[in-house]
Parts: sequence; C-alpha cells; structure tokens
Amino acid sequence: MIWMVLLGIGSGMLVSLSRQLNGRLALSTSAMQSSFWNHLVGFVVLVPCALLAGSLWPAEAVSAHWFAWAGGAIGVVFVASGSWLIPRLGAALTGGLLVAGQMLSSVAFDLLRGVDAILWMQISGVALILLGVYLSRRG
Amino acid sequence: MVARTSSAEAPRRPHPLEILAALCAGSLLTLMLLSNGMMAAHTTPIFASLTAHGVGSLVAVLLLGVFWVRRPALRRGPGGRAPLWAYLGGISGALTVVVSTVVVNSSLALTGTMALGLAGQVALALIFDATGALGLERRLPRRNDLLALAAIIVGTLLIIFARGSGA
Repeated sequence: MIWMVLLGIGSGMLVSLSRQLNGRLALSTSAMQSSFWNHLVGFVVLVPCALLAGSLWPAEAVSAHWFAWAGGAIGVVFVASGSWLIPRLGAALTGGLLVAGQMLSSVAFDLLRGVDAILWMQISGVALILLGVYLSRRG
Repeated sequence: MVARTSSAEAPRRPHPLEILAALCAGSLLTLMLLSNGMMAAHTTPIFASLTAHGVGSLVAVLLLGVFWVRRPALRRGPGGRAPLWAYLGGISGALTVVVSTVVVNSSLALTGTMALGLAGQVALALIFDATGALGLERRLPRRNDLLALAAIIVGTLLIIFARGSGA
C-alpha cells in the first residue's frame, strides 16, 4: 500500500518533470516542436511496452469509436500549451491553472452527463478553484 | 519557500490571456482523458497511450509543416541549442501512463490516484520553481501564488472526492 501511495505521488511528479523538460526544449526550438518530440519519444518508448504487454495492434482497435482516436491530436495542443506557459508563469502556477481548467470542465461534463456525485462538494470545489484563479491574477 | 537571500527576480503578474490559455488547455486535458479513456476501455491502457502518442506525432508534423511553410524564420528558438536531455520529456510522459495505470488498479482507485498525482505534481513544480531546475528560470512564488495554489488544490480535492463517494 505504501508503495502504491509513493507510485501515485511519483506519477504526478512525472507530469511536472515532463512539462519542465518540454519547456526547456521549447526555449531552444518552439512549443510545437517540443510537443512533437514529446509524442515521438513517448511513442518509441511505448512500442516495446506494448509488445511486452501483448500486441501492437489489438483486434478491437478497428472497431473503436472515432473519438477514441482523437486524444493524440488534442494532446499535441495540450503539451504545446504547457511548453508555452511554463516559462511565462513558472511550473507551479502553470500546473495549478491547468488543473483548474481541467477540474472546471470536468464538473461541467459530469453535470451534462448526469454523473452521480455530491453536489455541494462540487459547487464548493468550483468556487474555491475560481477564487484560486482570481488570486493568481492579483499582485 | 519565501524569498530571503534570493537573486531571482520577483515574478511578474500573469497576463489574463495566459490564465485564459491555461484554463482552455486544462479543458483540452479533460477531452483528451475522455478520448484516451474510451480507447483504453475498448482495448488496453498501453495501446491507448501508444495510439495517442502515434497520432500526436503525426498531427504535430502536420502542424509544424503548416507553420514552417508560412513562417520559415521560426525554425530555431532564441535559447540556443537544446541539450540532448531536453528531448526526453516524452519518456516521463509515457511512464506516467504506465505508472498511473498500475495505481488506478490498486485499492487507491481513480480518486486516490488523482489526489496523490496532484500532490506529487504541485510539490515537484514548486521545487523546480524554487531551484530553477533543468534550465528554466528560477522564481520564488509570490504569497498570492501560494494562496491561489492552495485554493485550487483544496477545490480540486473536493471535486475528486465528490465523485469518488457519489458513484
């Protein structure tokens, strides 16, 4: 259990590490080029992982919904945005504001799709996040 | 954490457009996770990440092609040559998928994984900022940056646990 907790924290640290590296690369190239290298290097690393885990092309892949294929295209813009933001806002504020946008939109999605959740906690969460975004703007 | 003997410049206030861009990019992350989650449920998490990285590489090449045709001068940024290690962000990005898949399937479940991941992400980001690690500018957070982060973290935890206990 303690190992899982450490792994969980580690997975978050990997996010910051990758954003920091991509941000450094973008200083010498551009945000979009850093996003390209991030995806290409990740792909090269994942090929042997997929081979070890089973196959490079599971039979179900053909029948996947079109939207299931769109994640990579969205991710390119997301990673490029992170590389663009991190030299401007710093790592902590970049991460915080990205999480803020993620949480606000995911609550909107949950409400639209009628996902079961405790409403007062969601509403106070949204209010706190909006307060945080407001504070980040104040000197 | 607070400035004392620092030679680092006081960070400027973020521009509203930068804040807006970050919030929009965060919403893209929600869409991306929905899409990747759909692929992961239909096939496997590793295959979902593999296709996301493959499709992403192709789309990035296309977008770069458009940029380069229109503005050839932008091929090299202002920061000089990048060190080789700066190209390795994709490794930790790919590892994130593998590690978080393992943790999600433990007793920590999605809620615990998200909460711990948030903690790890913010902690390391603060360390990076305070030390100016990996070639990015050193910057000490302003008091309001820390307050903003605290409010966003508590708000995020509320939302994560609202879902975790409501399902």
